[in-house]
Order: sequence, then C-alpha cells, then structure tokens
Amino acid sequence: MEAILEMRNIVKRFGDVVANDHVNLKVRKGEIHGLLGENGAGKTTLMNVLYGIYQPDEGEIIFEGRKVRFKSPRDAISAGIGMVHQHFMLVPRMNVLQNVILGYRTPSDPLINHKWVESKVEKLSEKYGIDIALYEVVMNLSVGEEQRVEILKALFRDVKLLILDEPTAVLTPQEVDSLFYALKSMTKSGLTIIFITHKLKEALKVTDRITVLRKGKNVGTVITAETSERELARMMVGRDVVMDVAKPEVEFGREVLRVEDLWVKDDRGGFAVKGVSFSIREGEIFGIAGVSGNGQKELEEAIAGLRTPARGKILLDGKDITKLGVEKRNEIAYVPEDRIGVGLAPSLSVLENLMLKDFKKYRKGLVLDYEKMEERAKELIEEFSVKTPSLHSPASTLSGGNIQRLILARELSRSPRLIIASQPTRGLDVAGIDYVRRRLVESAAKGCAVLLISEDLDEIFQISDRIAVIFEGEIRGIMERKEADYERVGYLMAGGLEVAV
Amino acid sequence: MRWNYLAPVISIVASLAVVGVMLAVMGINPLEAYIVMFSRSFASKFGLAELCVKTTPLILTGLAVAIPLRAGLWNIGAEGQLYMGAFAASVVALYINLPEFLVIPLMMAAGAIFGMGWAAIPAFLKAKFDLNEIISTLLLNYVAIYWVEYMVYGPMRGKEVYNFPYTDLFPDAATLPRFFGTRLHLGFLIAILIAIAIYHILKRTDFGFAVRVVGANPRAADYAGISRQKIIFYSMLLGGMLAGIAGMIEVSGIQLRLRPAISTGYGYAGIPVALLASGNPLLVILSASLFGFLYVGGSALQTTYSVPVAIVYVFQALIVLFIIGGQSLRRGD
Ligand SMILES: Nc1ncnc2c1ncn2[C@@H]1O[C@H](COP(=O)(O)OP(=O)(O)O)[C@@H](O)[C@H]1O
Ligand SMILES: [Mg+2]
Repeated sequence: MEAILEMRNIVKRFGDVVANDHVNLKVRKGEIHGLLGENGAGKTTLMNVLYGIYQPDEGEIIFEGRKVRFKSPRDAISAGIGMVHQHFMLVPRMNVLQNVILGYRTPSDPLINHKWVESKVEKLSEKYGIDIALYEVVMNLSVGEEQRVEILKALFRDVKLLILDEPTAVLTPQEVDSLFYALKSMTKSGLTIIFITHKLKEALKVTDRITVLRKGKNVGTVITAETSERELARMMVGRDVVMDVAKPEVEFGREVLRVEDLWVKDDRGGFAVKGVSFSIREGEIFGIAGVSGNGQKELEEAIAGLRTPARGKILLDGKDITKLGVEKRNEIAYVPEDRIGVGLAPSLSVLENLMLKDFKKYRKGLVLDYEKMEERAKELIEEFSVKTPSLHSPASTLSGGNIQRLILARELSRSPRLIIASQPTRGLDVAGIDYVRRRLVESAAKGCAVLLISEDLDEIFQISDRIAVIFEGEIRGIMERKEADYERVGYLMAGGLEVAV
Repeated sequence: MRWNYLAPVISIVASLAVVGVMLAVMGINPLEAYIVMFSRSFASKFGLAELCVKTTPLILTGLAVAIPLRAGLWNIGAEGQLYMGAFAASVVALYINLPEFLVIPLMMAAGAIFGMGWAAIPAFLKAKFDLNEIISTLLLNYVAIYWVEYMVYGPMRGKEVYNFPYTDLFPDAATLPRFFGTRLHLGFLIAILIAIAIYHILKRTDFGFAVRVVGANPRAADYAGISRQKIIFYSMLLGGMLAGIAGMIEVSGIQLRLRPAISTGYGYAGIPVALLASGNPLLVILSASLFGFLYVGGSALQTTYSVPVAIVYVFQALIVLFIIGGQSLRRGD
C-alpha cells in the first residue's frame, strides 16, 4: 500500500528539551495508525509539527508524494489534514453549525448557506454514523458530543488525513466504542487516521499499525495483528513491566467510613452530590467510577473536610465528623485530584511540602526544629523514592510522578485510617501508575480503608473490592468487583439506570 | 531564580535612567544631580544621620507591608496605621502621668496597639467576609489622617503654639535619646532589631511556616488544615503593629509633638520597599535605606536646583511600575 505521509528525521526542541529526536513516521493510505507513548514522549509535538503549529528544527515532511512545509494549520487544512486536539478548540457560545463552518467559505460566501451546510453535514453523519444536533449551542454539549463536533469539523473540510490526539481520555466506554466504529467506517471510505494514545488496549483494539515513541525517539513501528500488550509495553517503557498489581483478597475488618444521605453543594450553589450513601471497611478498596464532573470533587472534599455538606452525615470509626474541620480529621489521608493546585504549595520547598500538615508537631519552644524536620523528610524521600535534587528545591521542579510520590509520602506516612485517592494516576507514566496502585493496595492490606475515585475503568477494576458508579451526583449501583463488568459500569457511567431484576 | 536577584537591580537602574531623562529635560545634568544626592547623604555625619532618620520609619512600614504580602495580602494602609500609632503615643506622652522610665515603653505599647487595632478592621473584614483589603486599608488611611488633623486643630491643640495646628512639645521623658549631636535617635536601632526579629519569626516559627503556605497557595493551606482566616488576621495585625510603632518613633524621635503631615508618605513608600525586598525582612533594611537615600537626596535636589521634592515620589512610583511590569512580563513567557 502506498504511503500518504512520511515524516523524516523530525527534530523539535523546546529550549533544552528535545521533544522529537530524529523521528521517522510512515503512514499508509487508508490505515488507522496508532501513535503510542507515555506522557511527555513527544506525540502531541510531532503531530503539531505535522499540522503546522510548530516548525521542525530539522527534518522533512512528505505528504501525498510531495515535500511540504506547513507554515500554519491553515496550510495543513488546505492540504487535507485535520486535527482534533487533546483539548478541544470550539467556541462555547456558538452553535454546532457555526463552529463547524468557522473559517470555512461556503459557496455563497460571505453569506452562510444554511441549507447547503445542513445537507453536507447530513451526508457526513449518515456515512460515518456521527449524530449531532446542528443548532445546539456547544456550551450545552457533553464532552463526547463536543468531540464529535470537532471530528465533523475536520470531515467537513474533506480531509484525507485525520489526527486524533488522545481522543478517548474523556469518553465513557460506550462513547469509545461508537468512536471506534466511526473511525473504522472512515477508513473504509479512504480516509487515513493517526490515533494518538497512551493506552495499550485501545491501540491494540482499533489500529492497523502502531508507531511507539519513547522520550522523543522513535522506538519502532509494528503491525497490530502481530504484536501484544507485553511487547508494546516494553517498547513504550524500555524494559519489562509487570502490569498487574492485584488486590489480594483479605478479610475486611470493622467499618471505617460511613457516609449517610450526603448532599453537597458545588461552588455555584447547586447540589453536586445528591443523597450519597456508602461505607468502607478496614482493608477494603472502594472504587467510585464516573466521568469527571459528576460530583466526585465535591464528594471527596466533603469527606476530607474542605467543603461543608448541606445535609447528611459522615462517620469515621463510628464518630460523627460531619462538622469537623480538616485539622481535626487527621486520620484521613487525601490525595486530591488537583495535585498541584490543592495538594501542594509549588513555590515552597520539598521539605516544606512534606511537612505541610505536620509542622506544628516539630515545635521546640518558640521555633520549629528544622533539623528534626529534615531528618524525617529524608526518611520519607527515601521510603517513597521521591527523586529531587535536594530537600530545599521548590516542589514545582519535580516531575509529575515525583510530585505524586511526595504527596503519597506525606499522606500515607501519617498512619491514616482512611485514604481518599482521587484520580491518583492521571498523567503518570507506567512506572508511576504501577507504584501508586501498589501503595494503595499495600495500605489496604495494612488495614486502611481506601476510597478510590477514578475515571480510569482499568484502574477501578484492577484494585477495587467493590465498585460504585457516580452519575450527576448520585450513586448508581454498588457492586462487588466479581459481579461487575465493563459494560454494566460503562452503562451506568453514561447515565443508564439499573433495572431491578 | 536569577531573576529574583536581578529584578530589583534592573528596576532601580531603569528608574534612575528615566528620572535622569526627566532631570535633563528640566535642564539639569543628571550625573551632577546624582552626585549632589550622594554627597549630601554620605559625605558628612549629618548626612548619614539624616539617612538613618529617614530609613527608620521606612524599615517599619516596609515590614508592615512585607509581612501581609508574604501571606498574599496587600496592606496599603501602613500610612493610616502609622498615624494612629503616632496619635496614641502622643496621648500617652501629653496626658498621662507616669514614672519617667515607663513613658517611652508605654508610648510604644500604645502606638503598637493602635496601629494593630487600625489594621484589625480590614483584617477582620477580609477574614470574615473576604472584603478586598486593598480598598479597605487604603480608605482607612484617610480616616486616620483626618482624625489626627481634627485632633490637632481641636481637642489636642497645644497652649503654646500660637494657633498652629500642633500639640505642645512632648516632655523630655517622652522623647527618644539622640546621638552624636545629630538627629539620629534610638528608633533607628529599634527598627533594625525589629526587622531581625521578624526575619526569625517568619523563618523559624510555625506562624512563619503557615504564613508561607497561605501566601504560596491558599488552597493548599485549606487542604492542610491551616486556618487561612487566622493567618490573614494575624499577619495583618502584626503589620499594623509595626506601622503603629513607626508612628510612635516618628513623633517621639523627630517631631517631638503631634501635628498634621507627620509622615511624608512613609506608609505608601513601604509598598515599594517591601516589593523591592520581595518580602524578606532583612532585605527590607536595605531597600528602606535606598528609599531613605531618595528622601535625603531629593531634598538636596530641592535646595540645590529647586527641583520639587515630588521627584522622589516619581522615582518611587517608577520602581513599583518596573517591578510589577517585570513580573507580568515574566509571567507572559
Ligand atoms: N510548548 C512547549 N514548550 C516547552 N516544552 C514543551 C512544549 N510542548 C511540549 N513540551 C515538552 O516536550 C515534551 C513532549 O511533550 P508532548 O509532545 O506534549 O508529549 P505527549 O503528547 O507524548 O504527552 C515534554 O517534555 C514537554 O514538556
Ligand atoms: Mg499529548
């Protein structure tokens, strides 16, 4: 099969960072080509170079047999390349139709020929099974729908090559399935797709061939049908990885956390958590699955003591803590979703961040005993292998994985009864993910109760004992992991209701 | 990181350059003018003493801004706090009969308490209702300044002042000792000791730790169970206290009575002093000296070239602009 695109020896530097280091990529016409790599591997950069957002420092691009040089996305679009970014770029206040034709000249330009647009969109929708209400304002759409608008926008411009940057990160399993279906049908009508992901299972499921990037370098291209999860993981990480932390079966002890009919308001004053009840026992990991923004943040903050519930009760070891402040909830460890914005004072040192909750314990007379604090901090850094140039470097200089280790070190070392871990592995590399999950499982084994809140279903299924689904502030079904399956959880995550059997 | 050290230097040099251009436009050779400023401040014992005299209140108001700034708050009210401190100290000096050795300590305590009380109002409003402290501290300045004016035109006007809006001179026991036959007084030493003490408080105590966390990331403070309200309240109070002491020192060391305009904008100058020192109490001593130099040099310019003293405020404003401008430029990249 002929190549539609060839990128040769692409080099792109940002200051000292070499984001793309002599990368080669060859994409065949009509295939779905996976671009796989960990966070920071350089996938987005490579595609931004192709799309004309960045100019490469070295290397050349050959598109449809001709050497090209795109000075801006406009050039790339007119050559027939479309890109759906990791973060969508729609105008929230405009409707779908306006967004689709933004920057596009319809035949009656400067007037907009609505009929013409409608019929063109209709044809596309039919062909690829992408359904969307044209006159709905983008603000009111779900994330999945927004993504469809982005795709439609690209298709509308008759692209030959469509780039999707981590398109599944924000979707429910059902939405992922329908996206994959649409992608397959696009390739059948001759389109070529570059599909960026860091999830092995997805790459294996939907692509024809896969190119793996690691630390800005091209590791190799494999045929999907001939590879395996293990091989891909090795290519991605550079060594063998054991990918299954498993939660051992343990006898659960006493009940640690009990939440009764909890109602919590969000910042705008509406109810984000609506009558949630559940309990977690010693040794148990309770996973709450759900698409972000369904009340998880408010729920975790209420339990951690950062947000006062409007109604309901929170009991820790039988004691009512609903009204207590954070400082009186020392038995709760909290790994917040927004690590840098909430869990850290980035401009302060690693030492200060490690001592964020315990510094008062180091009072000696009028002043703090910094020597003792440093000693303790050193132990923690050792135990949790936080890589930092020194105790006195600002925490903001640490990598994402090390920031999470720092937070874990602080939180888990305070011998908590309950651990709230919210999206604890989001944005981490494979090694980091593995480390965090292992720590959570270990803590549970030692008798902690763990509340795991995550969008990542693999994570939920991998280490939870029981699984609950949250949708629009309500818990939709709590099940033992053994009884749960992806379809059922995904269905509930998307707002489906459980029918009594 | 290097920017942190370079920024103040660049701002100062840039301000010097702009003021130089302005002087040139007025027909004054800027180089000569700067030499005049220098020789008047450094070439004699009296010059040096004046430098210290001007630096003294600036150290304290600089700290009064710097401490809340470390907690992420803007205390624009040091001027008013200074006036209230001066007022309270004057009341003690003039109307309360005390054993002599107690007069100065009690004046200082009264100044501290009134400065603190004046800061407590915006601090409370901020902690409780999240009312913007910039506005409340600024507006309270006018109240304090006019209050002092009212007092010296009215109830506190002295018997021996021929209708001037002054109080009577303080008794000797209520004035700070002076040295070397100059106006240099004990207040200078007190200000420096206070700066050193504040440095250690911020660096070593749990209060200082909490202030740093609140200033660095208020949400992390909430998360860690550090009471943001308390820190806001106390850091503002501490700042007000120091500004109040500055007021006491000004009346007891220099003016020797209460009158309007005891401060030539020391409270406002505390803002660039604190910014230039990026909130570090020890560096505040340095940046206060720089501004003290500007005051002394500025009046030298006035007497030599009859340039209005306003040039000093132009200079101050430029430094603030350059620092803030530099910061936003840095954020832009
Ligand atoms: N605009 C930029 N400026 C500086 N560094 C960047 C920029 N974009 C990406 N990088 C760096 O380049 C590397 C690759 O990033 P990216 O292409 O976003 O990775 P991926 O998409 O695979 O997660 C990372 O180290 C990232 O920090
Ligand atoms: Mg990316």
